[in-house]
Amino acid sequence: MLRIDANKLTLVYGSNTVVRDISFAIESGCITGLVGPNGCGKSSIIKALSRVLAPQSGSISYNGLNTAQLSCRELACLLGVVPQIPLLPSNFTAFEVVLMGRNPHLGLFQYESSKDFEIVRRAMEQTRTQHLAERRIGELSGGEIQSVVIARVLAQQTQGILLDEPTSNLDIGRQTEVLDLMRDLCHRHGLMIGVVLHDLNLAVQYCDHMILLNQGSIVAEGAPSQVVTPENIRTVYGGGSAVYSIDGLPAVLPRAGSSV
Amino acid sequence: MRFISRIRAKAMPVGPTYRHSHVLSLVLLLGILLLVIVLATSVGSVKIPMGQIWRILLNKLPWVNFVSDWSAGTQTIVLNLRLPRVLLAGTVGMALSVAGATYQGLFRNPLADAYLIGVAQGAALGAVIGFLVPVAGVAYVYGLIPSFAFTGAMLSVLVVYGLARVGKTLPMSTLILAGVALGALLGAVVSYLTLTSGGNTARGILFWLSGSFNLVQWRELHIVFPVVFAGSLMIMLFGRSLNIMQLDEEQAQQLGVYVERIKIILLVIATLITAAAVSFVGIIGFVGIIIPHIVRLIWGPDYRFLLPLSMVCGAIFLILADLLARTLMAPAEIPIGVITALAGAPFFLYLLRRKARMLF
Repeated sequence: MLRIDANKLTLVYGSNTVVRDISFAIESGCITGLVGPNGCGKSSIIKALSRVLAPQSGSISYNGLNTAQLSCRELACLLGVVPQIPLLPSNFTAFEVVLMGRNPHLGLFQYESSKDFEIVRRAMEQTRTQHLAERRIGELSGGEIQSVVIARVLAQQTQGILLDEPTSNLDIGRQTEVLDLMRDLCHRHGLMIGVVLHDLNLAVQYCDHMILLNQGSIVAEGAPSQVVTPENIRTVYGGGSAVYSIDGLPAVLPRAGSSV
Repeated sequence: MRFISRIRAKAMPVGPTYRHSHVLSLVLLLGILLLVIVLATSVGSVKIPMGQIWRILLNKLPWVNFVSDWSAGTQTIVLNLRLPRVLLAGTVGMALSVAGATYQGLFRNPLADAYLIGVAQGAALGAVIGFLVPVAGVAYVYGLIPSFAFTGAMLSVLVVYGLARVGKTLPMSTLILAGVALGALLGAVVSYLTLTSGGNTARGILFWLSGSFNLVQWRELHIVFPVVFAGSLMIMLFGRSLNIMQLDEEQAQQLGVYVERIKIILLVIATLITAAAVSFVGIIGFVGIIIPHIVRLIWGPDYRFLLPLSMVCGAIFLILADLLARTLMAPAEIPIGVITALAGAPFFLYLLRRKARMLF
């Protein structure tokens, strides 16, 4: 079980405020989607929640514990992150990269045990990356790298996972595979999943709860059908697309020429 | 389909397999190191048979007692002249290789070594000042130049650190830029002081700058070896962290690595062992870059093996290089930096052509 609460969070890069005074919670058992246009602060929120970016003001708590009560390693046992464009060393093998996920569970003098190798093997099986195990990162495609990083976060065996655009390099088949896996982890195993998605239709399909951001503030929050409405989409993204209803769920499709 | 995935799973490396071969390589290399030490001790102006060297060395152990069939002079040559020199060469090779591997890992830069962040230039300037200090008529005060060199190295990294620090973090790119700039500045001062010093002092400085194990005694080894060995062991504790720091710093932190703390610890230790090594024998370039890369090309990038394997390979390499330096043109000595570049570069280039993908 993991619950992250962000309270009156303000995030700043230099003199540029990217997120202004927002509060929200991400809970176990429901997939929370962060959506919004480019530069609305989604990735900054992921960085702040994983404590890579210190907030200008406001606080974040993990199961009620504040930042000072959790060490970097303890947090890494609770929360795993799949970054947007993960930079990986090209001379390491995929297996070695997935093995890095075991780091927070190991002490300074410890080597990985056969249990750790078994966890890594299973994580690579779940993400269908086991055939890549001995290949070097430099030889892999963008989509394969993304899958390897997802395997790494599974090997980390955390209570919660934050994903920043995990499907941006994947074809539609792999997109649904990855998100189905996350849905399974969330609904069946009670993990906390927070995911940044650009594709509104994927978000509508997979998220139980959506947070729509614009210019660093929350515009709408709630079930997908409450968030993805024609009014909200027009306010946030402009008039370049239209919202339809397919099988009772909203679907957003682009309309050529309508933004001119 | 499930059957196929099971077969594939079996074919996956389960970690320990490649580890066993790495540990085996390490043991073999330690054996080679021992042989190289004995070989280098036996070769010189007076050729001493290897068997005799073994017996002289083993006789030092309390429970071994060979009947001496060698002269007291031979014993002096082996124990007081050659062995300390050979062991110091090994220690320095070890220090430069481990420090080089650490700098490369910290900066995620294949060219990183003690030159890149100004440590070597700081040591050089310290030594040059040591040469120029007029000490009441005494030409050479023991420990004067090494202590100046050591201070210079540590001071320069302190300055670079102070310049590069941004708030609470230490961005590695700023550190490299500050190091390169300071290094250039110090290098210019060294050149100026060397050129204007004139005569014998200038020759002494130039000889020091290109590195030499001439006139080495046990007392140098007693200072350098403990520092280098303890420092190397401490760096090795951070092998897994260094692996993860090859990702970017954000990912490393998200995987539970205390990035800022480890950067400072490793920077301090790597600089300390480099400074300890170069302050006695002068600047020996190239070892810190070439040895870790050769190890990467043969055994892969995992720092938990890269560090110990670099240590042993560096020791072997520098002992052999010093052997060539003192025998090729005997009785004259060739600066060891010349040998390391001449012998190491072609081998490195050969490996580079064959397995470049395994590099950085």
